[in-house]
Amino acid sequence: MQRVVGFWGYPSLDLINKYKKKYPNHEWVDLDIDFGYPKNSILPDAYCKIVKNMVYNAIYLKDRIDVILAPIGKEKCDSGWFAAKLLKDMGFVVEESIYEQTTIRNPISISTSNLPLRKKFELITADIIDQKHPSYEQTKPQFGFWGVPPNDLSVLELFPDNTHVYGWTRCVEAGVPADIELEMFVDENVPTVFYAQAFCAKTQLAKYLADKYNGLYVDIDDFATNSVKYKIEAFIELR
Amino acid sequence: MIYVDAGTTWSKVYELSDNKSEDSSFFNKYKSFIVEDDKQAKKYIIPSNLLKSGNTEFTAATGHMSKTNLKHDKNYLNEVIALSKGFLSNISQNGLVLDLGSRDVKWVQFRNGKFKDLDWNSSCASATGATVEMLLKFYDVQPQELEAVDERYNITCGIFGLEKIMDDIANGEEARLSISKFIHGIAYNAWAFAKKPDEIYLSGGFCDNKCFVDSLSKYVKVNKLGRFILVEGLINQFPPIQLP
Repeated sequence: MQRVVGFWGYPSLDLINKYKKKYPNHEWVDLDIDFGYPKNSILPDAYCKIVKNMVYNAIYLKDRIDVILAPIGKEKCDSGWFAAKLLKDMGFVVEESIYEQTTIRNPISISTSNLPLRKKFELITADIIDQKHPSYEQTKPQFGFWGVPPNDLSVLELFPDNTHVYGWTRCVEAGVPADIELEMFVDENVPTVFYAQAFCAKTQLAKYLADKYNGLYVDIDDFATNSVKYKIEAFIELR
Repeated sequence: MIYVDAGTTWSKVYELSDNKSEDSSFFNKYKSFIVEDDKQAKKYIIPSNLLKSGNTEFTAATGHMSKTNLKHDKNYLNEVIALSKGFLSNISQNGLVLDLGSRDVKWVQFRNGKFKDLDWNSSCASATGATVEMLLKFYDVQPQELEAVDERYNITCGIFGLEKIMDDIANGEEARLSISKFIHGIAYNAWAFAKKPDEIYLSGGFCDNKCFVDSLSKYVKVNKLGRFILVEGLINQFPPIQLP
């Protein structure tokens, strides 16, 4: 069975490079993602689904994981910090990471490309570990999607390809996951859906920005209900 | 040509006249559910479970039950879009239209014919209309016995409301009074969910519930649109083919 380096969020590049050298043949697993592994009762039921994924995935993969790279600073959240402590207490090797620099922004290409929106998110998150910076064909935005990668990526399939990515995911592409100025940036005249994971502190930003820019605020806990999908469809059709 | 807004409990149907002299098979099957009939169209309100078991092919459809349960010629329209099309084409270019039905609440606001805001809630408004229908049957109360009252339950959904009603009735309160307080709670929640506007265009089954309309009118000017706005939006989106 292939050994694993687990991580969540955006670990520092130094840490990533350190473990790429140490474990050159390990599989890198993004613990934020919902793989459908068994749940447990360690976290409260009403809690951020992404943080639940981190803990559920780590416990399910425990026999294969040699280290977890665990962002705990402003680039992640307090829940990341608590999860790191909790997993360390359970016997995992956890390398905490704080990556809060905002001075060097990489150029944006995926967020503003004509790729399908879901593909944009998949490329940006894959880029965290294997940084490539190809340039993609650019497009003028008809819609915007602001936020973190949703637990239910299928909601991204509701949007046309000329949807631009804003918020934390754009910050990740720019290599500045703690850059609050870039996170709050949107193109004012582009109709934008402001998404946050339910029970995440970013709901505060999403709601505020949706009101400010006359966008649509959406929070989803686990998987999107039909009503949430229809609401997004209606926003896209009517704007 | 038959258009349907198939809600969870009730389906609202327009059958447009095709100028043929004989009655349609749809008419023959569902004529007891006709609520309005004129030369241009027949309007029906039919229990959705009856339509689900039938074989009618609809010209166009909207509503929770229609996407997978009914046959239609791929002319499916999302409910908020149907509500919007019906409102803009038949009612006004300005205002907030709110549809409150059996299982959810949704609203859209327009200014000068342009979209301004919307929301749709199926979780916290779950089963509100269905709960009222169930309570009336369970406690054998007629809708006309209900009167708007000043007191209201602070409820967030039909399920949480039930507990309070049953507690009060167990403590000796009249069922009709408890149900009225529940309905007042639904009206208040609908208004708050729509961000407390000054005026609401009300669509859906609650238009026929005087207690609800009077309760909502405590907070906001209410214009009743009836139950067919979504179907009219469908017709606007998928107009009937003109026959020679």
